[in-house]
Amino acid sequence: MPTTIIAVDRDGTRHSLVWDEDQTLMETLRDNDLPVLASCGGTASCATCHVYLEEPVAARLGERSADEAELLADAEGFRECGSRLSCQIGHDAAHDGILVELAPEG
Amino acid sequence: MRENIQTASPAVVIVGSGHAGVGVAAGLRSRGWEGRIVLIDAEGQLPYERPPLSKDLLVPGAPAEPVPMRKESWFESRGIERVHGTAASIDRGRREVRLADGRALHYVKLILATGSTPRRLTVPGADLDGVLMLKTLPDARRLAAELAPSSDTAQDAARHVVVIGAGYIGLEVAAAAAKHGCRVTVLEFQDRVMSRVTSEPVSRFFEGLHGRAGTEFRFGAAVTALEGTRSPDGAGRVEWVVTADGARHRADVVVAGIGVIPEQGLAADAGLEASDGILVDAGGRTSDPDIYAAGDATRFASLYDGASQRLECIQNARAQAEAIAADITGQAPPAPEVPWFWTVQHGVRLQTAGVRHPDDDVLLRGDPANGKFSVIYLRGGRVAAVDTVGSLADFNAGKKLVAQRATIDPSLAADPSLPLDQAIAPLEPAAL
Repeated sequence: MPTTIIAVDRDGTRHSLVWDEDQTLMETLRDNDLPVLASCGGTASCATCHVYLEEPVAARLGERSADEAELLADAEGFRECGSRLSCQIGHDAAHDGILVELAPEG
Repeated sequence: MRENIQTASPAVVIVGSGHAGVGVAAGLRSRGWEGRIVLIDAEGQLPYERPPLSKDLLVPGAPAEPVPMRKESWFESRGIERVHGTAASIDRGRREVRLADGRALHYVKLILATGSTPRRLTVPGADLDGVLMLKTLPDARRLAAELAPSSDTAQDAARHVVVIGAGYIGLEVAAAAAKHGCRVTVLEFQDRVMSRVTSEPVSRFFEGLHGRAGTEFRFGAAVTALEGTRSPDGAGRVEWVVTADGARHRADVVVAGIGVIPEQGLAADAGLEASDGILVDAGGRTSDPDIYAAGDATRFASLYDGASQRLECIQNARAQAEAIAADITGQAPPAPEVPWFWTVQHGVRLQTAGVRHPDDDVLLRGDPANGKFSVIYLRGGRVAAVDTVGSLADFNAGKKLVAQRATIDPSLAADPSLPLDQAIAPLEPAAL
């Protein structure tokens, strides 16, 4: 069974995407033409792949790394619970059906 | 990979498959371009990320494969044709790109994303085996093999690695070599590391970091020759690096990281304006309305101060690619991100937003002794660039200040306990 997620664009449009096993969440969003800049290529060096996850999903991921926490702390629209760098989220079948919302740019 | 080039069918032809080339292809499709897109790729492999070549791919236990920029299926599903070949010339009258093997591709728009090549050593002995440079995946694999030779050839003694040039690439290689247990010497002509891109406090911090890992530095060092024992047919392997002061540095491997040269030959031969970079405007346009250029190969006026510049960074390649895709599809280009750069050495990250000038005022924020600090560069009282070392807490704030050309209160900005964006303040009248 493929892992499918719902991505919510910045204008509220919902897209159903298949998340391939060999990709991070950022790569899945980017390769499906969601406007994710991801300018560092997935190395937790910028915050341009910032997304919001629902609380139980974010909780399942555990603590953010130091780099991720520092980058997100002053990112536009930071939410203590739910803000994540999508490049740091690997595929997990347990994420099937999750809702991923793009955070504002900037 | 498709090789059946339909020469009669018009296409956007892109020369080069780095971030700039792939970025134009991606941008065109996401903006609704339905015509053919042909990506000419000299390496003949799935386009890959280059930053890891000097970092993750060199250290012990490195992954065997590079990180692909996009999956094979992504290129296929978007109908982006990949052609393995080397572009040899442009016939602007016929709107054709000729490949070295004689094939010709007709274009409606041509994008030159030809990148750059490492500057070569020109001293005697530079042709000896064991003298390496780093740009491509094959370069990285060759270097990784030299740093960690198989056990039957390694003997017991640590290998001597001499790095020429203490820029990003040289220092990343030095760090990887030290991790392999090599004895590393870095020869640098200037008086400190990374002198082109950063200030004294950052240079000294990174020098210390490498020094504690056993790496030795020789500043003011001008390499005059490489020496090795040659067989009668002239082949030989490097053994020594000689500097102008007469010193001889033992070397099993030499890595030159002495800058890059923009690949402008294709453009210049076709009569396009080029001078240490293909000249383009803010939209990536060359002096021919049907030809664009993007990435390391280009030279253009800074959006911030109008200075003529080349920017060797992914941000620039992608911003130019987006501008070109927007122009071809008749859309407004997005505002470019502030140029930014990063390096990781011995696990410590230096990340820079904006482009520093040597005569900028330098403001230290935090204490380098703590391993986490920032440096703010002020030009005419406005934030021109920000270096962050060992911490990314100031990076996004710094990027915003650079984008706004913000003015700050230096005493507030120097206090790391205050968020950087709280230091924004009107210019002192004296500075106006």
